[in-house]
Amino acid sequence: MELRSYIIRRLLLLIPVLFGVTLFIFGITMMFSPIERVSLYVTSARQMSDIPALIETYGLDRPFFVQYGNWIGQVFSGNLGWSRVVGMPVWDAIWTFLPATLELAIFACPLIILLGIFLGTTAAAHKDRPLDHGTRVMAIVGWSLPTFWLGLVLIMIFYGYFRGVLPPSRLSIQMDMVVNSADFVRYTHINTIDAILNLNGPVLLDALRHLVLPVITLSVVNVAFIMRLMRSSMLEALGKGYILTARAKGLAERMVINKHARRNALIPVITVSGYVFAGLANGVVITETIFTYKGIGWWAWQSAVRLDIASVLGFALFNAVLFVLVNLVVDILYTRVDPRVRLGGAVQ
Amino acid sequence: MTDWKFTARQLVRNPLSLMGILIIVVFTIIAIFAPLIAPLPEGHRDAYMIPRDGYSAIPTPPSEEHVFGTTEGQYDIFYGVVWGTRSAFRVALVVIGITILVGIALGSLAGYFGGLLDDVIMRITDIFLAFPALILAMAIVAAIGPSLRSVMIALTAIWWPSYARLIRGDILQVREEDYIEASRGLGASSARVIIRHALPNAIYPTLIMASLDIGAVVLSAAALSFLGLGAPEGYADWGQLTSFARNWIVGPVSDPLKYWYAVTIPGLFILFFVLGWNLLGDAFRDIFDPRLARR
Amino acid sequence: MGDLIRIRDLTVRFYTYEGVVHAINDLDLDIRQGETLGIVGETGSGKSMTALAILRLIPYPGKIESGSIVFRDRDSGGETELLKLREDRMRAIRGNKISMVFQEPGAALNPVYTIGDQISEVFLLHRRRELGRQAKRRVDSLLSGGNGLAAGVKRPFWQWQSRLYNKIAEEPHAVEPRLLNRMPLFKRLLWRLQDEANLLTVKMLKDVEIPDAARVAAHYPHELSGGMKQRAVIAMALACSPELLIADEPTTSLDVTIQAQMLELFRRIKADRGASVLFITHNLGVAAEVCDRLAVMYAGRLCEVATLEDIFLHPLHPYTRALLNAVPIPGKELQTIPGALADALNPPPGCRFHPRCPSAMPMCQQERPKLKLVAKDHMVACYLF
Repeated sequence: MELRSYIIRRLLLLIPVLFGVTLFIFGITMMFSPIERVSLYVTSARQMSDIPALIETYGLDRPFFVQYGNWIGQVFSGNLGWSRVVGMPVWDAIWTFLPATLELAIFACPLIILLGIFLGTTAAAHKDRPLDHGTRVMAIVGWSLPTFWLGLVLIMIFYGYFRGVLPPSRLSIQMDMVVNSADFVRYTHINTIDAILNLNGPVLLDALRHLVLPVITLSVVNVAFIMRLMRSSMLEALGKGYILTARAKGLAERMVINKHARRNALIPVITVSGYVFAGLANGVVITETIFTYKGIGWWAWQSAVRLDIASVLGFALFNAVLFVLVNLVVDILYTRVDPRVRLGGAVQ
Repeated sequence: MTDWKFTARQLVRNPLSLMGILIIVVFTIIAIFAPLIAPLPEGHRDAYMIPRDGYSAIPTPPSEEHVFGTTEGQYDIFYGVVWGTRSAFRVALVVIGITILVGIALGSLAGYFGGLLDDVIMRITDIFLAFPALILAMAIVAAIGPSLRSVMIALTAIWWPSYARLIRGDILQVREEDYIEASRGLGASSARVIIRHALPNAIYPTLIMASLDIGAVVLSAAALSFLGLGAPEGYADWGQLTSFARNWIVGPVSDPLKYWYAVTIPGLFILFFVLGWNLLGDAFRDIFDPRLARR
Repeated sequence: MGDLIRIRDLTVRFYTYEGVVHAINDLDLDIRQGETLGIVGETGSGKSMTALAILRLIPYPGKIESGSIVFRDRDSGGETELLKLREDRMRAIRGNKISMVFQEPGAALNPVYTIGDQISEVFLLHRRRELGRQAKRRVDSLLSGGNGLAAGVKRPFWQWQSRLYNKIAEEPHAVEPRLLNRMPLFKRLLWRLQDEANLLTVKMLKDVEIPDAARVAAHYPHELSGGMKQRAVIAMALACSPELLIADEPTTSLDVTIQAQMLELFRRIKADRGASVLFITHNLGVAAEVCDRLAVMYAGRLCEVATLEDIFLHPLHPYTRALLNAVPIPGKELQTIPGALADALNPPPGCRFHPRCPSAMPMCQQERPKLKLVAKDHMVACYLF
């Protein structure tokens, strides 16, 4: 199957998924009163003042599917509603808070993947020996940690006990002023990248300092998960016939593991990485909340707690789209790595 | 079917799983004997509401009266964590129990009958899985109104798709096997075939996943309570207790770790509880994994 | 023609959860230069283990307890005790002087790499010197032939390449090229080695009669048929012209028609290359097609070793006779060997075969019979002789 037609096909599949997701969430929001649901349709604070008129305009007391249709129409015209908690349209809110989360993801993802794969390979290569047991215990403990608690403890130690070495939030107050000043050009709104592009060392360092703890908190659980998966998948690969062949050819053990076993072991890990990404979305909510790190996760939590339906729905939509896209990328990657699989999923 | 004796022996031989079993046993004892370990004070009506010793916001350190100290609002931490064990078990068992039942039911139907029913059910699970669980839970809880019950409902709603998928997968595998053909050739009805033949073989991976999930459920429930979307203030719930500590993570400059007990103790209870189940589930996985040959 | 491999008193045990399995016991076996020796026996007789022991690839929880395996290198004439060899020296022998072909070609090939990649890997490992020399020669011809601006610009680069490949030709495992090989992008600079290896690979594939060899080399294992895969595996094993080729049930998983082709291939290999072949099989018919001599194994021990003729025409050991009798002949009633295979955990004392032997004597239970030469080139381990 051609790559382009495959991509188009998968993107088309986005539609039923979005349909289902939004239907579900919309259904939940219907449990709220019309007054609360008004925010789904307005685009400025001023409009919020005349609620009965709004209810009339947007048909908030009409039957379910009429409303749903209405809302979908709104979405297509680019109106995702008004976010009460941050006082701006939902669409704007998403783009305002996204860079912060992206920054976390940029640092966390490579860490998770590389560290997870490395630890998993090591554990498998030293099966049943101290290194294996050690990494396994680390993984199980890491996996059992409540993320929010880990964050709190890290703050307690590194911010409290060590006098502000690694502080929460995105930037310290001085650096924040620098970043918002006229001299500092905002290319991406991602602090570290912008700092590099502006050749501003202090801002870069400050941003990095603030990133350390949230990235660690976010990563721990996921590293543990990937490590575990990598280990068992490596063990399975190492039991296969081609490994014996590789050894019989005279290859050094290191080559056998790294060249022959690992490539095969990565295949299931790649499949799973789409779900890990979803897990990251979870972790982001908690992490950002604890560290008062104003990204999308933080916004989502604020919205959920304060019953800001427009925001919640907007976030849900955004997430669904992201998830489908990520899975698409993962599936394509999968065919690159495993020559047995053709696009379209048929295994030969 | 593996020998139970062999399984039990493997579990005990492995130091990690042994530790897991011990941890779970300890927590079970705490849960069962909660009224004895942390007795209700005089005149206290609802056992799950933590008794307060005053109304000051500042946590007090461990003392003779309050073994683990008190957290913000003078809630006794010791009482909270002990009765919190009961809450944890309750949430975990209810959620996993219902999830397995729903998952088995829907998964079996999808797997066995295939066709349109299968497609529909699978699309629905896809939708659920397309979502970060926490957000969905948050949305559901926000809609219903925060309470431990809504947390349980939300978690059940989120969790069943993975079991449905698992069961369906196993049934699909088993469906092709010859002995199913043989049973039907002998006249057995579909339901009978599913229940007596397909399901028992699908049980083992389910058990593995369930034992690992108990920990995950408790973590999610704790996270929700921590975020204010779960148990109400003052309820004996580990996540709830931890949320009290949010304002007291860092003490005064002279003694930054002053209120460590408020943060650390409830968290450690969560950690060890989940750890116990994870160790057990991990050991189960090693034992039941057909690919790792018996040595 | 002397001995290529001399195995003496080889004992291999497996320490499993259920107990100790005696896979091979006090085995004495010679493989002569240029001969095809077959090992026949039932599953579990220890024949595959013997092969793995020679290459020191016995998997955990197995262990080579005792014994000696002496390898006489035809080129250097020296004798090496394989069991005491350092691991890196052993690796130089695997795939190079002694190589192995396994039963399931599909399982033996790595699904994520092309056939060509997997075969050229052997060349890159063991024939680095030669590859380096060839590569240098090619670069040198570029240097001498090239004129004009383009050539002038590339000249220093080519000179450096020439020096690099020269280094490899002299010291195949020198530090600098090895470092280069480790680094992801710089690895590319050694592409000429891969090129030369690919040429040799295609030649090898042609040798094993794979049609359209260049195209096949670019294919993945799952794109080939069983017979082709097995040929590819054989090509991989023969790449460095080993002195001993070990084939563990190479035809068992193939169709009968492909089987015939494969045996023809083996016969040709024997004739063309003069290598010794250790051919392991449980199928006497197949053994009869390719082997010069046969060794019969039962429960980890040798029963009889003789020329092909002698085994088929004058079988001495009761087990050998029973095996020959058990070959199905249309029209005749199927003869089976009574009893069950010896329990690997608790083998019967003395001669392992005695519980099932029609001519068992009291002394057979006491002590195991040793291999004795009873006729020209014919050894039996039985108290009847």
